[in-house]
Amino acid sequence: MKRFQVVILLVLMLAACSGRKDTGESKKIAIVVSTLNNPWFVFLAETAAAKAQELGYETKIFDSQNNTALESNHFENAIASGYGAILFNPTDADGSVSNVMKAKNAGVPVFCMDREVNSSDAAASQILSDSYSGCVALGKYFVETMHKKGKYVELLGLVSDNNTWNRSKGFHSLVDYYPGLKMVAQQSADFDRNKAMEVLESILQAHPDIDAVFCGNDAMAMGAYQALAAAGKAEHVKVFGFDGAADAIDAIGEGKIAATAMQFPKIMAQTAAQYADEYFKGRRDFPKKIPVAVELVTKENIENYIAYGKKE
Amino acid sequence: MFKKAFKYAILPVIIILTAYNSVYFKKLDEVKAAAAPEFDAAAYARNYFDNKLPEALNKAVEINQLAAMLQKDEEKTFSTHSNALGIGNIRYFLVKGEGTITAVDENNVSVLAAADGSEKPVKIAIEYVFGNAVRDASGLININEFENTMDFNNVSAEINKIIRGEVLPSFKAKAEKGKRMRFVGALELNQEHLNFDDPEIIPVKLEIVN
Repeated sequence: MKRFQVVILLVLMLAACSGRKDTGESKKIAIVVSTLNNPWFVFLAETAAAKAQELGYETKIFDSQNNTALESNHFENAIASGYGAILFNPTDADGSVSNVMKAKNAGVPVFCMDREVNSSDAAASQILSDSYSGCVALGKYFVETMHKKGKYVELLGLVSDNNTWNRSKGFHSLVDYYPGLKMVAQQSADFDRNKAMEVLESILQAHPDIDAVFCGNDAMAMGAYQALAAAGKAEHVKVFGFDGAADAIDAIGEGKIAATAMQFPKIMAQTAAQYADEYFKGRRDFPKKIPVAVELVTKENIENYIAYGKKE
Repeated sequence: MFKKAFKYAILPVIIILTAYNSVYFKKLDEVKAAAAPEFDAAAYARNYFDNKLPEALNKAVEINQLAAMLQKDEEKTFSTHSNALGIGNIRYFLVKGEGTITAVDENNVSVLAAADGSEKPVKIAIEYVFGNAVRDASGLININEFENTMDFNNVSAEINKIIRGEVLPSFKAKAEKGKRMRFVGALELNQEHLNFDDPEIIPVKLEIVN
């Protein structure tokens, strides 16, 4: 009798263990984002959560605070807490791969939004802004408005993020053909508004005669504008951003920012949530990567756009 | 005696040998190169431009025909004749035409393309030959073949380099107002906010007819 009880106990334990793998039945979706210290990512996370809820899932947003160690903890917590899928905005293209693999090995699919991980088979799908093309269009507008000459500063985003380099490379793929345009400083400000302000204030000490600042996102563009306004140079120096954030769209309308490239976080977030839902329903043939087109926004076409997208 | 000799002479040698053979130093560049052979974007672009793109160019739509089709049924024209690698409003067409050069400036050659009694003014880009139009308009390249998007974007940069280096110089030398020319190229259009008044074509093949 005792032996029979032990066997039953072992069978129950095995069933409990195997049950962890069967996440397909879970009705919970985790949203892990690189930072909630930037309104753009808040919008991305909240839109993904809203779409997942609309599709009938319980959701929770995790803030990685641009820290891969914290991101790793979030993945462990999400897997242990029985989340069936993760909608993910990575902190580091290389450093986040292990987290995605951890989830994949636990049977939890990961759908990347906006930012990429450097692995073609870790995530179930990656829905990414076509940053390079957006910055080629931005670069062309930059060259035209600068009349092919002048001194400029580039503020980069997080150096470990592919978007940082896709944007920078797209911009330089065009601008570098014009020898009259001289980049006097290139520095990272981690996609952060306050840091961008501090970095540009310090660059202005050494290069007070710049004509333009190209920033890898709108938060840095707004920080750069603040630094220029404080130095009394905002009228002369043109600022270019990237994202299509609310304050940058307002600033283009007011003539403070020259241009930005509009990303569509709503499309990326909703597609990721939709894919997670389809995964639960049995779909497995997702495209590994889907670029989402980015559009140039200037004072000439601002009437077509609102923050984070197009006017309906 | 032997024990002492072992302790003071042979043992340190064994420890040093073991330690020496346990640690290897290699240049990070070499390890990275061995782990993932670097993608050759220039070779990929050359193969695409010489061997794949020419066949796709045969399917290019005549620019006046495209104008008529867009006027008749915008959605159907985009779904039938344009390509894009992802989601969004920006899509690319392969287009062709023949006409008279009406102006030449620093950035563009303006052409009045004529066919079947219709005329359409277009601009051929001769300065800003950049972006993904030529890579994406054919629909032949799949983003999922690439490990990361930087490799994929480098393909565009290399294709554009071929056009700037091999297609434009001889054409620019001969392009003059009043001359007739033929063109085949890629055109970017925004499906939601369509502006077809003054299309700018990124050239792939250019030819002065007379």
